[in-house]
Amino acid sequence: MERRDFIHYGAMGLAGMALLPANLYAAETKTTNQKLFPSPLPYSKKGEWKEFKLNIEIVEQELAPSMKIHTLAFNSTVPGPEIRVKKGDKVRVKFKNNTELNHTIHWHGIYVPWRMDGVPYVTQMPVMPGQEFIYEFTAEPYGTHFYHCHWGTLLHMQSGMYGSIIIEDDDDPIKKVFPYDREYTLIYSAHDVNFIRNELNGMLERMKERSYLMKTGRFNAERFNLFDTEKELLGAIETGYQPPYLVNRRTAADLPVPNWFTVNGKSYPSTPYLFINSGENIRVRLINAGTENHHLHLHGHDFWMVCDDGIPVPTPWQRNTVSLSPGKTYDIIIEGNNRGIWTFHDHDTRRVTNNGLYPGGNLLALVYEDLPEEERMVMSMGKMKMDNMNGKKNMLPKIALDE
Amino acid sequence: MKKSILIVLLIGFASVVQAQVSAEIELGAKGVMSGNIQNDNTNTASTVSDFSDSQLLLGFIEKLYNACIGQMVFGIQFPDADSDLGQVFYNHVFIKLENKNNIFKLGRSTTQTILNEFPTLRDDDAILFNYSLNPFSAGINTQDNQYGNVIEFTHIFKQRYWLILHGENFVDASEPDNFELNSYGASMQYIVPESQRWNRDVIQKIGISYNNYLTDRSGYSGYEKSLKNVLGTVTLNIKPDPINFIDLKIQGIYNVGFSEVDSLISFSEYVRSPSTSFFGTVRYLYRKLERPYIQTSAGFGYKSFSEVQGSEQFMGIANLFYRIGENFDIGLQYRYLKNSGQSANLFGKDEHRLQFTLVYSINQLFNNQFDDRNSILNLEHGYLK
Repeated sequence: MERRDFIHYGAMGLAGMALLPANLYAAETKTTNQKLFPSPLPYSKKGEWKEFKLNIEIVEQELAPSMKIHTLAFNSTVPGPEIRVKKGDKVRVKFKNNTELNHTIHWHGIYVPWRMDGVPYVTQMPVMPGQEFIYEFTAEPYGTHFYHCHWGTLLHMQSGMYGSIIIEDDDDPIKKVFPYDREYTLIYSAHDVNFIRNELNGMLERMKERSYLMKTGRFNAERFNLFDTEKELLGAIETGYQPPYLVNRRTAADLPVPNWFTVNGKSYPSTPYLFINSGENIRVRLINAGTENHHLHLHGHDFWMVCDDGIPVPTPWQRNTVSLSPGKTYDIIIEGNNRGIWTFHDHDTRRVTNNGLYPGGNLLALVYEDLPEEERMVMSMGKMKMDNMNGKKNMLPKIALDE
Repeated sequence: MKKSILIVLLIGFASVVQAQVSAEIELGAKGVMSGNIQNDNTNTASTVSDFSDSQLLLGFIEKLYNACIGQMVFGIQFPDADSDLGQVFYNHVFIKLENKNNIFKLGRSTTQTILNEFPTLRDDDAILFNYSLNPFSAGINTQDNQYGNVIEFTHIFKQRYWLILHGENFVDASEPDNFELNSYGASMQYIVPESQRWNRDVIQKIGISYNNYLTDRSGYSGYEKSLKNVLGTVTLNIKPDPINFIDLKIQGIYNVGFSEVDSLISFSEYVRSPSTSFFGTVRYLYRKLERPYIQTSAGFGYKSFSEVQGSEQFMGIANLFYRIGENFDIGLQYRYLKNSGQSANLFGKDEHRLQFTLVYSINQLFNNQFDDRNSILNLEHGYLK
């Protein structure tokens, strides 16, 4: 093959990568799309308690087609399943650690008793490999919240240990103002996949040793880097202990630089669609479980800001871009008043990339289901010629991987 | 003119495409500095600074379009001062292709002349006992036995069973410009991956290897012309513990040799005369703060020649290393070599060597992009291509 031929075939291959969604309006697409939102976690009723079961394991997570990483996953999914309860419910969560790492669960934004707050060595001991810990609390306050691991938080959160917890109110204040039937939960995160891989490997190696030593009764404060008091730490340093943050223990400047950005554990083109109909209100619950700010912008609409950290705002206001900082939740209402297919994306366009390549990341679309047939024209890229494009104004969007 | 434009365009196209794939870069460096005191009965010599075995390795690794990883490695080593290799020896210049279960290597690299890694200061400290020796070498340097131009295929079964088929062009002192294959062989090894070694109950490694050197044996033809070596090794975890770790390594080499070689006057005869050798070490490793801290080992080597009556070789070796920084060791090694019979003509009757040493070794990855085959994630949670 001549070099010129190679380039020719290479270019054809690139065009072939522009995958066409089978049919945005097919029942199959909608079924698949449904799986891209957190699935509700079933519970069993034990007296006055709603009892949920969460476990944690290491799985392979596909961020986008052909891109897999090892992640930590509640009940084998990223994000973890959605816990949905009524305000005032008694909630019991049995958390089983099926990994060789330590974990806890922190209930972000929930008024839990302090011993249930999930902060290791502050409110509880870590849940060690094979152990189970039972969290109990009353579901309050109302609104959109989330849970996440609070052990090795920098690593464990971006490795997938997060999920939504929604506390409903039968007398929902938002529904009164903006009646809606459909709602969607979108959990944003950012991942340095190299950091995740290296740190998970390192942490697994360390924990294998530490678990073995714990089992054989050989806990050692310096080996575990765990001291009861500051005095004890200072005493250890005086006798030669080197804290792990010093440059002779660890190379500096290893903080993660995220290169993958996900919504509900997926990056474009695997991100979910938000379906809507003309005249319909949909509620979108936005959660930032990652480390980056996301400036989320919806094309063609001004949406209503209705809840901030789960708390209903006194006077909803309209905007088309919202900055979702780490740890933040917002609820927005989108009114179906401009039929079409509209992009909803991070306007910090560095986060609309996969491994540095645009488009990717947290790019998704608001799709009107009542878009007329004549506007749903689909043309295969393979059959498209430049002269055919004249007059074809309303072709459905393709999945482009390189613009 | 048109052709020139096309070429410029092609270069531009290629550079745009290639700019999006940057290689993982691996830098390996080891500095071994020692002060030696040596006594071989005839005289006592001292060396202020011996930096042989110090080396620098540079590797470039990239994922290919399929599930393969491609790697290119360049390495230089500083040989012994009295070797015939000059100031610097290019010990690694190879390209490697690998996927989950297969490795293909082509170029200058380490040869399959040893089946284990022993805890000696320098790799060649016990080379007369733990290496299958290159019969084409003049015996002036040790690198002739350790490195060669190799073609190697490895298949890994179930993460731990390594089948290696290999061919080599060893340096031939009589024909230095001959680059044809002059050796081939195969080995089968059970190897526990590094990340799982300390918590194995007993067996860390078992291996057997067959090397066939295509020598020109006078008066013989075909298969009978070649020199055959069989190697076997085992590494056992005596005390598999993350703090106090003890292992035992043993390797034996049976050199089938040529029965007609019944003297040891030259290195050529030394390598070709039938022999049996063993080398073993016991190592104690104390780890503090999850890092190596103190290591001490003792080793013993023995070699006998079935066709040369009364010729035997013994070696005792012991060392102690103390880690004073993350990659920095200070150490002491003592080696005693005793040769009897005709082997004393070649290597002297006996020799004492004491070495005080400083060792600095690093292995640094830049632009890290993918995992290692033997990482815990890949081994225990599914291999990711």
